[in-house]
Amino acid sequence: MRLLSRNAECLFWLARYLERVASLARIVEMQSSFGGYDRDRGWNWLLTLHTDEARFRERFEPAADTIIAFYLTDVANPGSIRSSTRWARENARALRPFIPLEMWAQLNVFHSMIERVNAEDIRLSQLPRTCAQIRAGCLAQIGIAESTLYRDEGYEFFKLGLMIERADQTSRLLDVKFAQNATTGASTDQSDDFVFWSTILRTAAAYQVFHRLEPAGADAQRVARFLVFNPSHPRAIGFCVRSMTDALEMLRRGFGLHTTNVCLEACEVLTEGLHTAARDPALHLRLHEFNDWVQQSLIGLTAEIDNAFFRKRMPALAAESTDAPIGSKSPPDVAPVSQSQKQTQTQTQDQKQS
Amino acid sequence: MAIIAAFKHPDSVSALDGYDPREFFCELLGADKQPNQLVAPLWHSLQTSDLGLLRQRAADAERELFNLGITFTVYTDKDAIDRILPFDVIPRVLSATAWATIESGVIQRVKALNLFLHDVYHDRKILKDGVVPADLVLKNSCYRPEMIGVDLPCGTYIHINGTDIVRDRAGEFLVLEDNGRSPSGVSYVVENRHLMQRAFPDLMQGLKVRPVSDYGERLLIKLREVAPPGVDNPCVVLLSPGIYNSAYFEHVFLAREMGVPLVEGRDLIVENDRVYAYTIGGLEPVDVIYRRINDDFLDPEAFNPTSMLGVPGLLRAARQGRVTLANAIGTGVADDKAVYAFVPRIIKYYLDEDPILANVQTHICGEPDGLAYTLAHLDRLVLKPVGESGGYGIVVGPKSTKAELADAADKLRADPANFISQPMIDLSVTPTLTETGAQPRHVDLRPYAITGRDTWVLPGGLTRVALKEGSIIVNSSQGGGTKDTWVLVDNT
Repeated sequence: MRLLSRNAECLFWLARYLERVASLARIVEMQSSFGGYDRDRGWNWLLTLHTDEARFRERFEPAADTIIAFYLTDVANPGSIRSSTRWARENARALRPFIPLEMWAQLNVFHSMIERVNAEDIRLSQLPRTCAQIRAGCLAQIGIAESTLYRDEGYEFFKLGLMIERADQTSRLLDVKFAQNATTGASTDQSDDFVFWSTILRTAAAYQVFHRLEPAGADAQRVARFLVFNPSHPRAIGFCVRSMTDALEMLRRGFGLHTTNVCLEACEVLTEGLHTAARDPALHLRLHEFNDWVQQSLIGLTAEIDNAFFRKRMPALAAESTDAPIGSKSPPDVAPVSQSQKQTQTQTQDQKQS
Repeated sequence: MAIIAAFKHPDSVSALDGYDPREFFCELLGADKQPNQLVAPLWHSLQTSDLGLLRQRAADAERELFNLGITFTVYTDKDAIDRILPFDVIPRVLSATAWATIESGVIQRVKALNLFLHDVYHDRKILKDGVVPADLVLKNSCYRPEMIGVDLPCGTYIHINGTDIVRDRAGEFLVLEDNGRSPSGVSYVVENRHLMQRAFPDLMQGLKVRPVSDYGERLLIKLREVAPPGVDNPCVVLLSPGIYNSAYFEHVFLAREMGVPLVEGRDLIVENDRVYAYTIGGLEPVDVIYRRINDDFLDPEAFNPTSMLGVPGLLRAARQGRVTLANAIGTGVADDKAVYAFVPRIIKYYLDEDPILANVQTHICGEPDGLAYTLAHLDRLVLKPVGESGGYGIVVGPKSTKAELADAADKLRADPANFISQPMIDLSVTPTLTETGAQPRHVDLRPYAITGRDTWVLPGGLTRVALKEGSIIVNSSQGGGTKDTWVLVDNT
């Protein structure tokens, strides 16, 4: 039997949650290590970046420790590291007969570790260490998947989830400056730029390779272009989009899934958009709008994948049942995802958790 | 004994120091209470093991079970807590001779129960002949009139069966209960063995033990045997209530070992009395379903309409013979605690054989004699409600206070048909690792039999152990644990 739709969906979301946890840990680690002097107000931009201000202010006063707790251990925040890890594990639990035991065992131990993270572990002094542990745990899981997961359709869905989430997270990372400026009022201090963009590169694991390739050094334009267009750095958006295309091509040609076509079209729109942006010399000045477009396009692509593979609308393969329309009973839990609808990351998340 | 003890380091405390099974039958020592030729290597290993080290290795082994997620989930209002089934490192050993008795006895029993179920849902000869009271079957809450006249492949109703067996003071095996609905626990049999092989290979040295790891392959063969007629390459799936079910690990285990998809109700749809699964490539037909969902929740169209776990139309498809359900719907009338009392007569009726495994003597409180006897001897009997499982509601007469007995008598008088009573059995014991070394703890045994065209019994089965001193209730919900069960290959 082919891969169950539900298992494909779980693989896709397992990868997305893992990458989300890893990226959040990277961003928090960045702020804790390079956050600068304004201890409390320095953290507010995290809320702006994730469009979480309103939800956060319902329950907390903005301060370093409340924001850190909100993103690491708060189970009422569906986007926290603890919540996302729980969802990753729930998806992995559903996949247990499918994924290698080593993947499950590592994730299970990682989940126990996240559940044990306490107030002491997220004090500013301990935070970089804790974040590094979390990052390493996610990388271990992704590495185990790379080394042990059987290369059938399931692997392609895992890869799709990983790459879509990573592209989304890198576009958010490039938006940090915008979020910071929006929080603190426009920054006028240009002297900080080199330090800031170097930090962004470190967070995207690109510091060394960037300097190897760009002798002119880090500024807004060069860093943005590197993290958007580079086809060879695994955290660059260009690399991620190419990997998504590869995965979809594999599903269509390698595994004969013709419903892939609409997903490939959505992916081509992204590729085209990147080509157009590459010709724009002033991209770094319009970066926020561009990032917004990237994130919307990824939501659109996710909706197409959801529609093509995870929803229950396909005709039966068996010849004997074609005389009756299959799938006329549309399950009540299917809410169509509108592409045009502006969705925040959190809204998309909630959808998968229901 | 003296020679064996000489291997010990003089300063260490060994696991077996001071072990004394007292008046009970000991699984390891047998009737003469001496380690015989068969188990000498194990006895020697334990005798030379340092208690502290053994305990440390046992703790490591339990941590590994937790990390691997070999757990069941306990739900409270606030949390879902993953627990392991406590595991005892000292195995329970069965000789080849003892196993031959159990194996043939279980096969005989399963054969008779399948014939009984076919008869109940067809000609009802056994009821007409008055061997089993008709009311006991036809008014049973597990009786499913929907199954009347339905012919099943190979005539098999109970494809997967677990027989709960105890051993009395004389070492004789007695059947305590049949489980013909959806018996659980087999995953622990295989995982316990893997754990022993990984963590305690030294304990297995010198003993030839029959393997258990082929259970999944054997099960798949049996399930393929009962596919609907005309299906050459049947698609088998395992139907689970999902990740929130406390036995989810076992469902994962079984699907994994068989290499079949683990599905939930929402993955399946019935169209034109045919069952399909939703896949990324469209709908694909399903032919055999090993279902771990009770009858009541299997098909909201036919049974409990509020069930979100089942598949609407599944009963229709099964009745048309377009899909095989394992176990079949309606097997509950064969493993009912009240029907249990009649199983020796059921065996005689269909097979014209004497039961190889005896029942525990059982008083049916729904009958006047049984009720009178039970009320008169409540302090010496074990009183069991017929509709409960998991050890709930059991009153152990000799271990109850006067107030508890009076309360039990009231409940019994209020609804006699809901109870049976049995004499207290002095369950056998086997050495079990405790804070103070190996101590005798009571055990039972649940061998698993799988049936397609014929029956195969997994060598050994689940040994459950009552970890509390003196306790005879082995259920995991009541402080029980498990052991690896070793069936020796030969007797020499």
